[in-house]
Amino acid sequence: MINHGTAGKGGDTVAASVTELRLKFPGEGSFIFKDLSLSIQKGERVLLLGPSGCGKSTLLQILGGLIPHVIEVPLKADEIIVPASRGYVFQDPDTQFCMPYVDEELAFVLENRGIEREHMVRQMREVLDAVGLHPDELHVPVDSLSQGMKQRLALASVLLLEPEVIFLDEPSALLDPDGRKQMWEAVWHAAEGRTLVVVEHRLEEIADRMDRIILFSPDGSIIGDGSPEWIFRTFRRELAQYGIWYPGVWENFIRLMEIRQAEAENSASRSGLTPLLALKKYTGFRANRPVIYVEAAEVYPGDFIAVTGPNGAGKSSLLLSLMCLLRFSGQYVLCGEGIPETAGASRKRRKKVCPPSDRIGYVFQNPEFQFVAETVQEEIGFSLKNPGMTSLNQVDETSRRFIRSFHLEGLEQRHPYQLSMGQKRRLSIAAAVVCGQPILLLDEPTFGQDARNTFAILDYCLEMQAKGAAIVMVTHEEGIVRHAATRVWEVLDGVVNERPDAGLHEERRVGT
Amino acid sequence: MIELLTPSRATILQRANPAFKLVLFIVLFLVTVQTRSIDFAINQAAVYTLLLFILGGFPVRKTLLIVLPFMLLFISSSSTMILFGKGDTLWWQWGLVRITEESFYRGIHLGFRSIAFAAEGLLFVSTTPSVKLFYALMQSFRLAPRYAYSFMASIRLLPMVWEEFLIRRQALQVRGARIRGKGLKGLAEHIRMYAVPLLSQSIRRAHRVAVAMEAKQFEGQGGRERTYFYPSRICWIDGIVLMLLVLASFAAYAAALHFPWLGITDVRYHA
Amino acid sequence: MNHALTMEKRKGLRLSDLLVTILLSLVIGVVYHFWGSVYDLFKPLFFQADELVYGVWFLAPTLAMLLIRKPGVAILAEVAAAHVEIMFGSEWGIQLVLYSLVQGLAAELIFAVFRYRSFRMGTAAFAGAAAALGSLLVDVYYGYVTDYTLWMMLFKYALRIVSSAILAGYLAFALAKALEATGVTQLLRPVSKRDYEALDHD
Repeated sequence: MINHGTAGKGGDTVAASVTELRLKFPGEGSFIFKDLSLSIQKGERVLLLGPSGCGKSTLLQILGGLIPHVIEVPLKADEIIVPASRGYVFQDPDTQFCMPYVDEELAFVLENRGIEREHMVRQMREVLDAVGLHPDELHVPVDSLSQGMKQRLALASVLLLEPEVIFLDEPSALLDPDGRKQMWEAVWHAAEGRTLVVVEHRLEEIADRMDRIILFSPDGSIIGDGSPEWIFRTFRRELAQYGIWYPGVWENFIRLMEIRQAEAENSASRSGLTPLLALKKYTGFRANRPVIYVEAAEVYPGDFIAVTGPNGAGKSSLLLSLMCLLRFSGQYVLCGEGIPETAGASRKRRKKVCPPSDRIGYVFQNPEFQFVAETVQEEIGFSLKNPGMTSLNQVDETSRRFIRSFHLEGLEQRHPYQLSMGQKRRLSIAAAVVCGQPILLLDEPTFGQDARNTFAILDYCLEMQAKGAAIVMVTHEEGIVRHAATRVWEVLDGVVNERPDAGLHEERRVGT
Repeated sequence: MIELLTPSRATILQRANPAFKLVLFIVLFLVTVQTRSIDFAINQAAVYTLLLFILGGFPVRKTLLIVLPFMLLFISSSSTMILFGKGDTLWWQWGLVRITEESFYRGIHLGFRSIAFAAEGLLFVSTTPSVKLFYALMQSFRLAPRYAYSFMASIRLLPMVWEEFLIRRQALQVRGARIRGKGLKGLAEHIRMYAVPLLSQSIRRAHRVAVAMEAKQFEGQGGRERTYFYPSRICWIDGIVLMLLVLASFAAYAAALHFPWLGITDVRYHA
Repeated sequence: MNHALTMEKRKGLRLSDLLVTILLSLVIGVVYHFWGSVYDLFKPLFFQADELVYGVWFLAPTLAMLLIRKPGVAILAEVAAAHVEIMFGSEWGIQLVLYSLVQGLAAELIFAVFRYRSFRMGTAAFAGAAAALGSLLVDVYYGYVTDYTLWMMLFKYALRIVSSAILAGYLAFALAKALEATGVTQLLRPVSKRDYEALDHD
C-alpha cells in the first residue's frame, strides 16, 4: 500500500524512505528516478551528493513530504515514508519568509501550530538563542538581517516545529564564507538528537560531521552509499567530475595554473604597457551619496583582479560606477580616453556618457537579468548587431564561434531561461564579451555555482586573460583570490585598497 | 517607494483597531457615495482634507504635496460632466460643448466628491500598514488565512521586484538594448523586455515562498485552531476615533443645512 | 506493483496559485500606479484621448488568468492590483476596491463562459472589453455618466472598450506567451494523466 506521513509504520527505526520510486518531470524525455529505493534511519545525519540536475533536491522534497502534496510532480512508488514531524530549510534566504518582521515570521509558525499567545515570545527567544541569533528586540525587520542571519532565522522557525527530522536543501549555497560557517554551527547545535538530511555540494564545513553520504550519478541512481571517508576514498574521480566542492578540489586547478604561469613567463614581459583603465581620486555616487572611493588604481592587460570585501562594502558599486551606471567624479581614463565626470554634471552632459559597452564587458550576478533575446543564438548575436558593427554574415559567424567555445552547441534555438544554471552563466559571459572588449567586469559569477561551473568560468577568464584582456571579478571565493587572481582589491567601507602581497604572480604587478 | 506614505508622527488614527477603522471608513465612503447635495459634498471634501492634515501623520509640507494632485483630480472628474452633461438651462454652447446650469453644478459636485473620496482613502491608507490591515481582516472578519498571508507575503516580496527593475534597467543600458519597431509593436517589445525577467522571477519567488510556507505547516494538518500573535482589541482609542469621524461628517452635514453654499440638494438630471 | 501517488485534489486555488496571482498583480499594480501619469499625458491630445490607454488598468485579471488558468484568479488579481494603488496613496482611494471587484468579476465571467478552457487572444480581448463594461457600470452608479449627452457617453466608452480589448487582450496575451516561452509557467500547470502514464514506459 501507499502510505505517507507515517513514520514508524516501516519499523521504528526508519525516519524516512522511498521504495521503487519512479519520477519524471512533465514533458521531459528521461526519468529523474527509476525504481529508486532508499531509507534513512532515525538519528542519522545523511548527505545526498551528486551532480547538478541529478534530482537530489527533488528526492529531498519527496522524503520531506513536499512532493507530491505541495508541489505536484508525477511519481509512483511502492511506499513512501515521510516523518511525522519535519522541518525544511531552503536555499534562497529571500524566499522563505512571509512576514516583514522577525517576531511576526516566527509567530506565523506558532500560529500554524495553534500555540497560545502567552507562550509565543518565550519560544521565539529560545529558538533564536539556539541558532545563535540574539536580537535585542524581536520586532526587527527581516530584511535588516544579513543573508546568513536570514538562513539561521529560517532554521529557527523550523525548530519551532519541533521536528524529528530536519531537511536542508543547500542552505549555505548563497552565503559568504562567514555566513556559511555560522550557519553550519547553528545547524550542528540545532540538530542535536535529530535526524538530518542534507543536500549540499560544498563539503568543507560538513564532511566530517556526517554519518553517511549517498552519492548519485547524473542519471539519478545511487552509486555509493557509506561513510564519508569511504566515499572520498572510493569516488574521488566522480566527485571532481560532478562538480562537488570536496576538500582538495583546487589541487588540479593549482597544477594547471603552474603550467600556465610557466608559459606566461616565457612570453614577453608585460611591464611597460599602457594601462587599459586608470583611476585617480575617483568617487562613485548612489543617490548623491558617495559609496565608493579609489585613491589611484590602474588596470593593465593580462591582469586578473579579484575584488573582495564584506557585503555592502561597495564592491558592486565599484563595478557599476566603472560602467558609468552610477555617477562619478574624479579622473577616469579608459583605453587612453578620458571619460567626463558625471557627478554634478548637467543632465544634458550626463546623457552623453553611456555605458562603454564597446570596451568593457559586464556580467551581472543574475544572468537572467541581462538576457534580451529569445534564443541562445540571438542572445550572443545581439550585441554584435548593435552599432552597425558588422555584416549579418559576420554576426552569424562570430556567434557560432562563441557558441562553440562556450560549449553551447545544440542549444542555439533554446530560450535562454530554459538553460541549466551553468549554461546560463556561460551564455551570459559569452554575450558580454562577444564584441572582444579588452576589459571584463564580473559581479560574483561563481556565486552558488558548483565546482565544475566555477572552474569552467575561471577557464574562460584565464583564456581571455592570456589573450591580453583584463579581468576584474568581485568574488567571495577564497580559492579564486588565492589561486587565480594576480592582484586583489580589498573594498572596506567604500574604499578600495590593493592588497600588497596578494596573487600568484607578484613579479607582474605594475604601477603603484 | 512604499516608505513614501509612512507617516512621520504618531496619531490616534494609527492606534485604532484596523478592522474597526475599516468599517468606519466604509461607512464614511458610503455616506459620500450617497451624497447628492452639492453643499454636503463640498463640506465633506473640506473636512476630510483638514483631517488629513491633522491626523494623517505627515509634516504639513508633505501633506500639501499629497493634497496638490487633488486639483487635477477635481478637473479630471468634473470637466467631462460640465462640458457634456445633460441639462436644460443653457449657459453657453460652442460646437459640441454645451454647458448648462445643471451640468455645471453636477460636475462641480463630482469634483468635490472625488476629493472627499481621495482624502478619506489617504487618511485610511496613511494610518494603516497593509500587514496590520490583512492581519486584522483575518482575525476579525474571518478572511481565510490563506488569502491574508498570501497578501502579506506578496507585499514583502514587492520591494525585491523593484530592485530587480533597477538592475534590469542597468542591464539593458549595458547591453545597448534599443527598442526596435514602432507603435504598438515597439511598445509591446519595450514592455516585454522588462516584464519577462521581472514577472518570471516573481512567479518563481512566489512559488518558492508558498512552498516554504506550507513546509511550515501552514494549513498543513487542518482541524487545528489557529491562534493569533497580535491581540485584536477594541479600546477607548477606537471610541475616540469613532466620535471624531462621526463628528466630522456630522459637522459637514449640519453646516450644509444651515449655511448652504449653493443650496442644491440633488444634482442628478430629472427630465 | 507501483502505485501512482496523485495529489489529493483540493478545491480551488492552491497556496502557490494565490501567491503567484497576488504577487503578479501587485507588480502590475505598481504599473497601474505609474500609468496614471501616462493617462494624464494623453489627455491634451484630443478630447477623451486618455480613454485610449485606459485598458492597461484591466491587464491584471487577463494576464493572471492566462497564466494561472483557474477560477477566481481574475477577480483576485484585479483586487490585488487595486490594493497596491490604494497603498501608494492613489487619489482614487477606497472606491478603487469597488471598481476592481466589478471589473475583475466582469473579466472572470468571460473566462467562466468559456468554462476556463479557452485562453486564446480572442478570449482575453473579450475579457478586457468586459472589464471595461464593468467599469462603466460603476461609473453609472456614482459618476452619473448616464447624465452625459448620449453621443458623449457612447464615444467615451467605445474608446475605452477598444483600448481594453487591445491592451488587456492583445498585450496580455503577448506577455503570457513570452512568459510561457521561458518555461516558468510549468510551475503553475497541473500534472496531466498522460504524465503519470509516462511513468509506466521505460
